Amino acid sequence: MTLIAGALPEASPLGTAPSQVPLDDERLPLRARLRRLARPQIVLGASVVLVWLLVIAFAGLLAPHDPFAASGGRLLPPSADHLFGTDSLGRDVFSRVLHGARLSLPVAAVAIVLAVLVGSLVGAVAGFFGGWVDAVLMRLADITMAFPSILLAMAVAAALGPGLTNAFLAITAVWWPIYARLVRGQILSIKEREHVLAARAIGMRRTAILRKHVLPHALTPVSVNATMDLGQIVILVASLSFLGLGALPPSPEWGAMITDGAANFYQWWIAAGPGIAMVSVVLAVNFLGDGLRDVFDVKNRGR
Amino acid sequence: MSSVRPSAPQRRRTAARAGVVVLAATALAACSSTGPATTDRTGIIIGRAMDVNSLDISRSLCDTCQIYNSAVYETLVRATPDGELDPLLAESWEANEDSTQFTFTLDPDAVFADGSPVEAKDVAWSWLRLQNLQGLPSYFMQGITGVEAPDERTVVVTSAAPNSAFLNITSASYMGIVNSDVAAENGATADADAATSDSAEQWFLANSAGSGQYVLDSYAEGSEIVLSANDQYWGEEPNFSSVTIKEVTDASAQLQQLQQGDIDLAMQISFDALDQIESDESLTTDVVPSYNFLYLALSPGVAGGEALQDVRVRNAIRMGIDYDTVIDATLAGNGERQSTGIPNGFEGAEDLPIPDFDPEGAKALLAEAGYPDGLTLDATYPTFSAYGVNSNTEMQSIQQSLAEAGVTLNLSPVDFSTWGDAIGTTGYPVTAIYFAPDHPDTIQYFQYFSLIDGSVWAGRARMPVNPEENTLVAQALAQSGDERTATYAQLGQLMYDDAIILPVVNPKYILASSADLEGNNYDITRNLDLTRLTFAD
Repeated sequence: MTLIAGALPEASPLGTAPSQVPLDDERLPLRARLRRLARPQIVLGASVVLVWLLVIAFAGLLAPHDPFAASGGRLLPPSADHLFGTDSLGRDVFSRVLHGARLSLPVAAVAIVLAVLVGSLVGAVAGFFGGWVDAVLMRLADITMAFPSILLAMAVAAALGPGLTNAFLAITAVWWPIYARLVRGQILSIKEREHVLAARAIGMRRTAILRKHVLPHALTPVSVNATMDLGQIVILVASLSFLGLGALPPSPEWGAMITDGAANFYQWWIAAGPGIAMVSVVLAVNFLGDGLRDVFDVKNRGR
Repeated sequence: MSSVRPSAPQRRRTAARAGVVVLAATALAACSSTGPATTDRTGIIIGRAMDVNSLDISRSLCDTCQIYNSAVYETLVRATPDGELDPLLAESWEANEDSTQFTFTLDPDAVFADGSPVEAKDVAWSWLRLQNLQGLPSYFMQGITGVEAPDERTVVVTSAAPNSAFLNITSASYMGIVNSDVAAENGATADADAATSDSAEQWFLANSAGSGQYVLDSYAEGSEIVLSANDQYWGEEPNFSSVTIKEVTDASAQLQQLQQGDIDLAMQISFDALDQIESDESLTTDVVPSYNFLYLALSPGVAGGEALQDVRVRNAIRMGIDYDTVIDATLAGNGERQSTGIPNGFEGAEDLPIPDFDPEGAKALLAEAGYPDGLTLDATYPTFSAYGVNSNTEMQSIQQSLAEAGVTLNLSPVDFSTWGDAIGTTGYPVTAIYFAPDHPDTIQYFQYFSLIDGSVWAGRARMPVNPEENTLVAQALAQSGDERTATYAQLGQLMYDDAIILPVVNPKYILASSADLEGNNYDITRNLDLTRLTFAD
């Protein structure tokens, strides 16, 4: 998934001099901070994501047809009226893809937010308290991570029964350990950093240290990671629906639409429509995540 | 022990030789995988979405089971494609005048796969076990009070009431004869308490004990059933050295594998792909009418189905289905509407009313029944691809048209095993499934679908028995000829009025196979008759 591991300063588009960038973001003027984000990867990713956000907001207006009713004939190939053709029930695939974005993307976003919240909480508790609490929570995380995520998500979704709500519960259940580990590791290392030790030496309160000097540093990698994982979650949601464990018919969820397409192999457009949509989202989110990581990753700073 | 062990150099030589053998085998395998159409090919691979609920002949009830049961076991009589009865294990049979006693004389040549003769006691044991297991196919034995074996070759069956359909029923694949000695050794029993004391179901997943052309080689759930030719077979030699029924769940994958030559015969091709198959010269296809049907079943007696207790609501649902659109969406128009749980072409079905799409009429009926704003029902159905129909497509199409009539269906597809477990326990208010005939007599549809004692769907729908239907079924079984046809028609009308079983479509069927396979068929009792299939020379 990693496209470029840490772009070199020479390659940075606007010729900023990262070597002189101060360590603390807050010291930078807004324009300079924005300029650091103006990498082609990020711009491309962000614009595609923006387009999809607009689609989510205005799907009802943008869709040329009712996504649940037959429009024209069945199994029509792509045309001006039906950009992505029609499916076996005569529904317009393009309209369904647009409406499907309202399901696939928010579900993935909610799932990742839930996983981040649960994972960060567990990780922070484990890192902060240490001892047996740490051991128990982290072994739990290890056990969960020992299973391939798609298999475990399938098992959880199958146990809970089909439905999008259960699908994202299943995803949260398999995805939280990643963030628990990440946050715990961050907290453990930040706790011992010199600026934290210095803060402690001048007598700052523990809660203030945690709030001002530990958590902000821990959350940047979490948010970057979450952006990068979003793409995988979109695919996971679609996979569960594809297997019949996610969205219920006649929902235009992308994975479920691809299942419809699989049943009509020679009408390639039924699966191609949602497929293209998914590729664009996942690629955009990955670009965005990669770009953000390059910008924010502590290890890349000053290089 | 040490003398048996080869010395070190010998072992090395053996290893080298083994290596050569492995290489040769690999080379051979590589050669044979160049294409299935080689002349020395003797095994056949059939692709289908399997719905196996059991491989124990007396517990099974499914389309795939029909193929398996009739390949491995044999019935006393065989229903020909035109509905006549031919001898199979029995060389002759007769019924007494009022159809309460049936006498079969077994073929003296018939032997089981282990070489032991098929005797009257095996017949008695198999049929009593079928009855006493009280499983899904036990209804074939309804009303039978005794099966006796006065001598090794004579079987006498007695029925409390006249049962003119019994000879037809004995041609159903589930009435096949099991080698009682072998099965009994492995936990099977025909005793009255067989439903609780019989422990052979697991054993039957890995073994067969029949006299058919094939024996079970292996079964892997969700993957394949492998049969091999029965070397001891007493009749005509089987056409294949092995038969593999391979699980290929969706229609497009079946088509792809058929085109690639991974399978020789595909059983559930979709009509949307018919053009592709017909234009492919390596394949042969034929579209034939069938006696299969797909239906919606309403269960007023289960939780969530309370609204369905009013027959007007059930009728409104029947009127709310846009049959032509559903048949278009699922079969590209290759199907017929059907009145009730009796397929077109069966005795008694001719003059029954055919349902029509009438959303306004449905709305009016719903309003009359106290649902002027419509109602919402949960529809849970297994994910299947049967006769080329994808259940998700079928149900979404029905959902669309019912919405026009004011009925909101909440669809939830489940897998087959979940459905099979729940349909008998908690039940589903609305579900969709399919049915293929088991034998040539219409009586099976009343025994399975109508509201009579022991009917499968009367139980699943939690509906009280309709005494009139009970009487008429008994009456029909005492009749013959036109009289019986009239009673069947009367029963069909009652079933139509019950509005529990709402057939959606009676589909046409695509016979698709590779071009070097001849005799592909649609069989009433066997679903696919393997004895009629053969590779062309």
